Amino acid sequence: MSANSLPTAPPAAGITIRGLEVVYTTGQGQIPAVNGINLDIVGGQITGIIGESGSGKSTLAMAMMNAVPHPGKIVKGSVIIDGVGNMMTLDKESQRRARGRHVGFVFQAAQNSLNPLTRIGHQVLDLGRSHNVKDLRALLRRAKELLERMGMDADRVLTSYQHELSGGMRQRVGIMFALVLDAQIVILDEPTTALDMLSQASVLEIVRSIQEERGLTIILITHDMGVVADLADRVIVMYGGELAEEGKTEDVLAHPQHPYTRGLIRAIPRISGNLDQAVALAGSPPDLQTFVQNACLFYDRCPERMAQCQNHRPPYEIAGPGRKVACFKVMAK
Amino acid sequence: MIEVRHLEKTFPGTRGLLGHDAIKAVNDVSFHIPDGGAVSFIGESGCGKTTIGRILAGLETYTAGEVVMDGQNLAQLPRRQRAVLLRRVQLIQQDPYQALNPARTIEQALTDPLKVIAKERGADKAWIMHRLHEVLELVGLDPDAVIYKYPHMLSGGQRQRIVIARALTVDPSVLVADEAVSMIDVSLRLGVLKLLRDLRERFKISVLFITHDVASARYVGDDGQMFVIYKGRIVEHGLTDEVILHPQHPYTQALLSAVPVLKGLEEPGPDRYIPLKEFGHGQPPEHACAFAPRCPYAQPLCGQEKPELVGTAHQYACHYPKERHVVAVPLSE
Repeated sequence: MSANSLPTAPPAAGITIRGLEVVYTTGQGQIPAVNGINLDIVGGQITGIIGESGSGKSTLAMAMMNAVPHPGKIVKGSVIIDGVGNMMTLDKESQRRARGRHVGFVFQAAQNSLNPLTRIGHQVLDLGRSHNVKDLRALLRRAKELLERMGMDADRVLTSYQHELSGGMRQRVGIMFALVLDAQIVILDEPTTALDMLSQASVLEIVRSIQEERGLTIILITHDMGVVADLADRVIVMYGGELAEEGKTEDVLAHPQHPYTRGLIRAIPRISGNLDQAVALAGSPPDLQTFVQNACLFYDRCPERMAQCQNHRPPYEIAGPGRKVACFKVMAK
Repeated sequence: MIEVRHLEKTFPGTRGLLGHDAIKAVNDVSFHIPDGGAVSFIGESGCGKTTIGRILAGLETYTAGEVVMDGQNLAQLPRRQRAVLLRRVQLIQQDPYQALNPARTIEQALTDPLKVIAKERGADKAWIMHRLHEVLELVGLDPDAVIYKYPHMLSGGQRQRIVIARALTVDPSVLVADEAVSMIDVSLRLGVLKLLRDLRERFKISVLFITHDVASARYVGDDGQMFVIYKGRIVEHGLTDEVILHPQHPYTQALLSAVPVLKGLEEPGPDRYIPLKEFGHGQPPEHACAFAPRCPYAQPLCGQEKPELVGTAHQYACHYPKERHVVAVPLSE
């Protein structure tokens, strides 16, 4: 058989986001939590989106599924998921089907997304029924395989209630739910924040190996630069509802360009090396004032700010192969 | 100075359908904290480290052993005197969001304990205001900027600083910091860790640092003692940097492996090992190594005989101790 007659695997699904704008209406006015974002999520890779509290990273994740909770509202833009279409224009029923079947979502605290009153196995069946799965036995079998794959006693887990599982186990159950309908895209929102370091490391290890096995597209949302640096192929740095920098993980870690990215990397507590090398980021995460100012979003905390930065926001531009950055100082170089 | 000898805490079992056996949460734990010293307790959720902290802070009783504070054995003191002594130990808990009353301003939260002290000392209102400003400046906050604010108007890092400032109002000699930074954005953690270190050096306040993150323990005291706890027992202890650089126990090595590796800056240590198996529940058998079921290097002996702590300054409880290189190695440019 010649090489070109081999069936080529279909390219893994990616996401194309254009001009996305999400606004929260509050007593103090309209807050643009996601402000005109253009972003291409490459299929078959792990993309890490990093930002501090209030950077809009979770809102962006919810917007990718057109599921921003009230009082947030998507006012502009499109999210095109390969194989599904534009989430903004699809009818409600198709959107619902896409969530779960095409895009799996793992929430920050899995205990909040599991039903406390029914056993895990029943919830797998409920999920299957709501997506019109014909062969429920096969579905349960897949759930079992996935759980065992993650180092758990599947029979015990499926007959347990969520309170009988530890935090790390619940998070793995969350991952199982995201994958059991064969979703090709999985969004993980702060999957390890409530876990201790060992559980975190094992959950990351599981995500890594399942991604490799199935060529999934994974979007990992976190405030922990260490987690992104360990797991992601690409890093996207978010600040105040806009993108600050993106690139291949190795490139961004070794040669960060945006002062904010540099600050985030320097602020990681390190296990070896000089203690004074690591410094916390100065200032506070963006507040309501920051979102509406004319200046660069990072202006107040930036150690390298220039006069220009006070009156304009820097555009998000290409800064090398696969790299983009929003900073006047970098552009001037 | 605090001296703890053979501390033991057993939570009684319960009967009935959902009953469980008695659990020894702390088992034969001895350590001492010198004035201005740092001691860190490292381990997973459920290993008993929090119970040790709560016992020192007087929030939990103990079932055996001795706690001696400044030469006085706590258990032998009359209640009043014990309360006075224990006031000098202040607990800083994980969640600064829950530790502060959302309906009270920072000024109100801090003046309450100050009023009590002012009454005892016969000091006036001016002293209270003076001291209030003083403690806020100590924790690195601008008093005029935060004093009239409510907790929700502050960032996680600022809130934890307020909690520390409140603990400082009573002139403590020991701070027990239980996962004090794990709810804070990683970018701001180092600031709080350095504050704890600063308090040690400037005011000779001792810090008992309880965490699951080995890296953060270094920033409170690389000159202090580190205790690795597994199922209520000390499995390894020594000078912090000694334990991190030359770990002998496989469990310590697993904890060190869990620290994320920064792609582009580091590569994984050659012996990195992350157990996928979860921390089992229930009481480990008395005549076996508790870690054996998860240990990749376990031998038949490990299931038959409990290892005792051996070594001099750096001690470890393992039948087959061996130094392994699990910590990430920096890439040379």
